Amino acid sequence: MGNSSKRKKEKAKDFQKPKLKVGKTKAKPDNYTDTTFKSKSIVLTQQSLHLAAPTSNATFTHNLSLLAAKSDTQRRDSLAYLTTTISSRPVNSPLPQPVSVILPSLLPLILDASANVRTQLLKLLKTLPEGDVEDHVGQLLPYVRAGMTHLAADIRSSAVDILSWMVEAAGESTVSCAGGWIKTLNCFLSVLGWHTDESARWSSSRASFGKAGSQGKPMVKTLGALSEFLEAGIGKPAVKDVEMSDDETSWPYPLCQTEHHMISESSTPFAYLNLSGQPRDEEGEMYETREDRFRVFSSRFHPAMERGLKSAREEGGELGRASSSVTKVLKEAIAYGAGP
Amino acid sequence: MLTQMRFEGPTYNIRSRRTPSKLPARHLFALRINANHSSALLRSYIEDFRAQHYQYESHREIFMAAPSSATDTGLISLRDLIDFISHVSDCYPDICKDFPQQLIDMLMQHHLVLETELREKLVGSLVLLKKKDIIDSERLLHTLFPILVSTPSKTLRALLFQKILSELRTANSKTTNHKLNRTMQTVLFNLVTSDRTSAKGLWAIKITRELWKRQIWTEAKAVEVMKEAALSENEKVVVGGVRFFLGGDKEREELEDESSDDEVNVGQVKHQLTINKKTRKKARAAEKAIKSARNKEKKKGQPNVMLNFSALHLLHDPQGFSENMFFKHLQNGKSKLNLEQKLLVLQLVSRLVGLHQLHIMPLYSYFQKFLTPRQPSVTSFLASLAQATHDLVPPDVLEPLVQKIANEFVSEASAGQVATAGLNAIREICVRQPLAMDETLLQDLVMYKKSKDKGVMMASKGLLSLYRDVGAQMLKKRDRGKEAAMSLRAGERSERRFGEQAVGQIEGLELLARYKDEERRKKNIEKGLPSDAEDDEDNEEDNWDAWNVEDDSDDDVDGEWINVEDDADINLSDSDDEGKSRPSKKTKQEGEEQKDGEKSKAEEEIDFLKLATTRILTPADLAKLAELRAEAAAEATLPGNKGRVAAPWTSRHTDDPLTANEIEGLAALSAAKATREERIAHAKEGQTDRSEHKSKEARKKERKEQEGKSTTNKEKARKHKPFLMSLGKAKSKNKRSLKDVSRALKAHHDRGKRGGKRGNLGTTVGPSR
Repeated sequence: MGNSSKRKKEKAKDFQKPKLKVGKTKAKPDNYTDTTFKSKSIVLTQQSLHLAAPTSNATFTHNLSLLAAKSDTQRRDSLAYLTTTISSRPVNSPLPQPVSVILPSLLPLILDASANVRTQLLKLLKTLPEGDVEDHVGQLLPYVRAGMTHLAADIRSSAVDILSWMVEAAGESTVSCAGGWIKTLNCFLSVLGWHTDESARWSSSRASFGKAGSQGKPMVKTLGALSEFLEAGIGKPAVKDVEMSDDETSWPYPLCQTEHHMISESSTPFAYLNLSGQPRDEEGEMYETREDRFRVFSSRFHPAMERGLKSAREEGGELGRASSSVTKVLKEAIAYGAGP
Repeated sequence: MLTQMRFEGPTYNIRSRRTPSKLPARHLFALRINANHSSALLRSYIEDFRAQHYQYESHREIFMAAPSSATDTGLISLRDLIDFISHVSDCYPDICKDFPQQLIDMLMQHHLVLETELREKLVGSLVLLKKKDIIDSERLLHTLFPILVSTPSKTLRALLFQKILSELRTANSKTTNHKLNRTMQTVLFNLVTSDRTSAKGLWAIKITRELWKRQIWTEAKAVEVMKEAALSENEKVVVGGVRFFLGGDKEREELEDESSDDEVNVGQVKHQLTINKKTRKKARAAEKAIKSARNKEKKKGQPNVMLNFSALHLLHDPQGFSENMFFKHLQNGKSKLNLEQKLLVLQLVSRLVGLHQLHIMPLYSYFQKFLTPRQPSVTSFLASLAQATHDLVPPDVLEPLVQKIANEFVSEASAGQVATAGLNAIREICVRQPLAMDETLLQDLVMYKKSKDKGVMMASKGLLSLYRDVGAQMLKKRDRGKEAAMSLRAGERSERRFGEQAVGQIEGLELLARYKDEERRKKNIEKGLPSDAEDDEDNEEDNWDAWNVEDDSDDDVDGEWINVEDDADINLSDSDDEGKSRPSKKTKQEGEEQKDGEKSKAEEEIDFLKLATTRILTPADLAKLAELRAEAAAEATLPGNKGRVAAPWTSRHTDDPLTANEIEGLAALSAAKATREERIAHAKEGQTDRSEHKSKEARKKERKEQEGKSTTNKEKARKHKPFLMSLGKAKSKNKRSLKDVSRALKAHHDRGKRGGKRGNLGTTVGPSR
């Protein structure tokens, strides 16, 4: 029958042996899967195993890289390691890595979601030498400001903590770096909710945005930080100036100006020229002298500040007490006026 | 909180922009509440918004310090912040006044290093800001366009191109935004002209072509951009520009046809609405359909809404342009174009020459070296040569070319296809400039009408019939034909001189004249006057009424109906130009042959000339004229009239290009080249549709099947029951006794009386199912 012979043929086809030919490569089987691939680079995820223990420097670098890890416990642990390494190093010995290397990986952690990481971060920051921090305030401040206006109240409060540490460690450069004065004050007003007439009233829900923090009394803390910040910015200048004026009288003419002809102490003496950066607007400008800062403050922030302080005072309690410290700083600054 | 705020701002905004009249009462109430509280609402959120704005500002600062680094810091990314702020920025204009500029800066300065998602978000936000009227479209385009030109990323280019196009389209949707168009065209023009060697001009071409296709740009300035592109140094740009001139208008027409095709049947939509489930979506669809139908109705009334000139006509200084093209891309030895590209350029140049009757003398000698059968794509060259010919080209320039074509292509030894191409090319040249032919050559070529190859024979006959028309005295006496010979003898035909211009006329006017004449006669007969009495123009009012195209008569009919007489008795004759003298068939049927027979041709010519010179053609007249012309054209394609259609050169519009296919002629259809389907299609071309002769039932069934509708149970039974199933019953039926048969018959009869199996009685009450 035609049909069955056809079937037979088909069946026979299934079990045919492939012909092998001399000099030719063997034919690939039907179910052969092509596993070759092309890639520009191949990353081998392999542990580097050594017999010798890694040097402390290497572990430091390794932990620094672990700061970007996914799990927050890992980040916290790395931070803790870095903190102990820095704090336990011999006195006056340099850091295992310069601050300029450490800082970029620390900065995003200011906005970290985990509270433990942030507290650990603050501890680490406090161990850094103050002189080094001074040069990197400009890098720190945008992150701190982003933290201060963050939706999560916890992050806001820890950002305020970091800011108060910064003011403590490098007050002058904090208030005088680019954008350090106006933008930060704006953030303060926004955290406190003192921007507009209406929102400063006690009846309105102040600091309403975001979830309420788990750590209590954020307002009190913020007010404390504000008073420190204002003190650093427009507080009465230190007595050093008076001594300087004494020197001026004591030295004759050319020698009294020696200081101006020396190499500047700060690392970026010409930062105010902004030679290679983005053009700055009024808010992002550097306000290096107390007069400038006071002028800006009295024209922009004074009324809002007064209004806010008044309502805080009226509220009384701990908040009222905290506000009084700010009021005191403010009074002194106004009493001192625009400058000598 | 962020999500909450996201919704708060925009919802208010959307509601306030709607007009109250379209909203139901419930919404109206909500609207009123919103109107009262809107400002308060916004003010109460201002602190939160300000905080978000500061957040954005600081993130932006962080980003600007290192644009290429990842933006995913903490809980919120810069991308989300930008998204949020751009959505609500119109609610807080004073806080966000710098926002657009910041986005623009970010995009312009860092588009090379930005993360793709952020980049797309920036583009999208800018477009959103434009939609909210925070920035104007000029600013948007000035931002997007430079990036489009400079970015190496393909996805970004695609996105930007699409955004730019849609922006230009929306800007021109209500009224033409001349200012924007002008600036954009200037930008494109500068792009093309500033650096002629770069391929950046392609973007200008792409945009211009797209907008031209959509009829958004129809001005000379857009054509100017393309002209500059065609004169560029970069091959791609050149080809882009040339292709635009060669195909842009066709593309435009096709798009227009397409858009007019997809109309919705309003009746059907309404009917479906009554049957189907009523949803808001369907209601909206129906509303849209009705609206579009209404718009279309409105458009119908307006005369020539879309009167757009083709790009070739809008060219400023075509002579200079085509000379430049010729010397730069064709004659120039350093030109980098390959043959295909050169052919395109040549097509454009020759088209311009033919259309505008330009003079580029070196062009014809340029052709000389390409006219051999071995030249690749020689038919395109031949077509270009024919296109470049017009009746102001000196014959002595063309004569050597014609001679060369005849020598190279047309001989007994050459293949049929080659000879066909040559003959067709010669014919096309001579259609445009009959004086290019010399007498002995013509007589020689005409001899090929006896060729065995069908293509050659047809081509030769084409040439013959052409010269019967334009220069019969050059033909041998026996080739002239009756018509031409008689008119030659009567001395009606004079030899055409070089540069002689024919008297201008309106195409199809004789049809109108005849129609009018007929109408008048009918009216006269109604009045009882002699049929040829002069109409003394007394019915002036009627004329004024008939000034416009009357619209009420066929409003419900979609499209124009052309009256095609399918049973027209065929009037065969050899002469080509009898269209003028041949009276319309209708007149004969109505038995009014007493006039038409005697009416001499000369008389009628005067008649329609009189119509053109003494009357102003009203829009109604012009509409009628168009209708008559369409009718005549449709009639000409009927199978019986093949003899008369044989002269394709008479029907060609000057704007239409001559293609290589036409030069190849029948060879293109010969057995070797055409597929079976093509041949069948060609054979069927003139035939009418046979399906018309089907029975009513069959046609109905076919239609139902086509629409996907179901059949009746009866039909199903007929179709699907296998005969084996009914075989047993049929057999047993034959074996029944006489008694059984009579019983069955009786039962059938009774059943019929009762009104079927169920009976008529039960229907009023009906069994409960």
